[in-house]
Amino acid sequence: MGVVHGQEMVLNIGPQHPATHGVLRLQVKTDGEVISEITPYLGYLHRCFEKHCENVTYEQVIPFTDRCDYLASMTMNFGYVVAVEKLMDIKVNDRVQHIRVIMAELQRIASHLLATGVFGLDLGAFTPFLHMLRDRERIIDLFEMTCGARLLYNYMWVGGLSHDLPKGFVEATLNFLDYFEPKIDEFENLLGHNKIFVERTADIGIMPAEVAINFGVTGPNLRASGVNWDLRKDDPYSIYDKFDFNVPVGQGIKGTVGDSWDRFYVRLQEIRESVKIVRQAIDQLPKDGDVHQSMPKKIRPPKGSIYSRTESPRGDLGYYIESDGSDTPSRLKMRSPAFTALGVLDEIAGGWLMSDVLAILGSLDIVLGEIDR
Amino acid sequence: MKRYFTDIYESVSSILGGMGITLMHLIKARNDNVTLQYPEEKWPRPERNIGFDHNSYNVIRSRLHVDMDDCIGCLKCERACPVDCIKIVTEKAPVRGEDLKEIKHKGITSNGTRKALVVTRFDIDMSECCYCNLCTYPCPEECIFMTGGPNAKKHPIDYEFSEPDRSDLIYRFAKKGAKEGLAEMNAKQEAEA
Ligand code: SF4
Ligand code: SF4
Repeated sequence: MGVVHGQEMVLNIGPQHPATHGVLRLQVKTDGEVISEITPYLGYLHRCFEKHCENVTYEQVIPFTDRCDYLASMTMNFGYVVAVEKLMDIKVNDRVQHIRVIMAELQRIASHLLATGVFGLDLGAFTPFLHMLRDRERIIDLFEMTCGARLLYNYMWVGGLSHDLPKGFVEATLNFLDYFEPKIDEFENLLGHNKIFVERTADIGIMPAEVAINFGVTGPNLRASGVNWDLRKDDPYSIYDKFDFNVPVGQGIKGTVGDSWDRFYVRLQEIRESVKIVRQAIDQLPKDGDVHQSMPKKIRPPKGSIYSRTESPRGDLGYYIESDGSDTPSRLKMRSPAFTALGVLDEIAGGWLMSDVLAILGSLDIVLGEIDR
Repeated sequence: MKRYFTDIYESVSSILGGMGITLMHLIKARNDNVTLQYPEEKWPRPERNIGFDHNSYNVIRSRLHVDMDDCIGCLKCERACPVDCIKIVTEKAPVRGEDLKEIKHKGITSNGTRKALVVTRFDIDMSECCYCNLCTYPCPEECIFMTGGPNAKKHPIDYEFSEPDRSDLIYRFAKKGAKEGLAEMNAKQEAEA
């Protein structure tokens, strides 16, 4: 924070603050109500993930990836196992691939439900939040049925899954989707078209496409700026090339392309697309196939390194793994999508009012567990 | 001027729309309330939400339980744990596969394995455990498991563990007095010899 002039004031938001989505401290320089500079201070949730991974075996890393982005643990597992499988050159069978996609997309729905609900909550809309949490709860129940855990799953393993689907999972999921699809429209009407919400978000915190690309912002935040970039389409991993889905991009329906409302709306549209993918994956789910079939007895990747990226609900999630041929990684680095999203905050929130900063922060959907690792 | 009135119209209509949805839920609320009245109603309630009984789960994550009569002390679970919250100490049994009545040690597991070791310490610190379930898979005797769910036959579900002191969360599974008993027996044997 540079020189503070006569009329300016330095204000701390957080670290303990309900609107900072975790333990984040924002130091803001304000002139009256107008923000001129924001400096985020990180590290309150640092748990030495990367260093820790050097001391545990490859399979023991998976519970730690769960705890990075605790709102989308399935996709965190997914990214990691895809990376290790690439490193070891393992091909997993079709049933495993389909189950993984079903889980990842259900997780995306759950994560976006929370993101949009909490975004409304940040702006004072309490009811939509309850609706969204109620439906997220059902997805979590589905996960609980499958792997016993509600948030931190340790479900996807290198070369397979910890368990096959339980009896009745497919019916329960289809039931849920039938129940859930009309609810998406309800959410849209309840929150998205609410005049107060639109006034608070449309044209606020505009992120132009160049800024988003320069800062390395990915995921729904980038797509809301009108850039059509989704790793599931543009660099397909697993079996995403088999499914038919659209990539929603921001169109500036209520204001300008790349404003906070667009970021909200892209997430809502992505929920619809994920529902489509889950339905297709369930349709194509092969009846047979052992989920433990290609699991190696001992995970000892050959010497070498790999960078692999997947699309988590927050964006481009990358794992860089360096192996020295032993059963523990010699270096593991995670590229966190929420970190870059937080980096752009100063750029897009400068010049807005104090109350808008929380709206912009909420629209970026950051998870501090993943930023600090 | 026109904008002023459209703004008013939009505000009123969108708020009324939202209120309408809330009202619909109020009318329908009786059948699909989702809140559990916790101390009176407890979690594994079969008809809850998606209608699944916890007995039909694949796996469950709750408190760990070890069936000491079956444990052979192979340390596989200790090695699998990523947070090292399982602590096992074993001692050689005087005779392989024989019951030791003094310390209630069973010589043969229910799978028919003859034990060569006596487990004198088996502590799991449930306050450190991250419920990853990694320890339960490698166990050759399937004697370490999480309670309830598919294991309900072996041990009823148990997931409420508030304790006045943190050290009460360290569950000690080894038979009480196993260490002292074994030392005594060895001393007696030596004296006899
Ligand atoms: S569940 Fe995981 S953390 Fe807990 S004792 Fe077993 S291996 Fe260790
Ligand atoms: S893996 Fe099973 S048999 Fe081996 S020490 Fe652990 S509980 Fe006992």
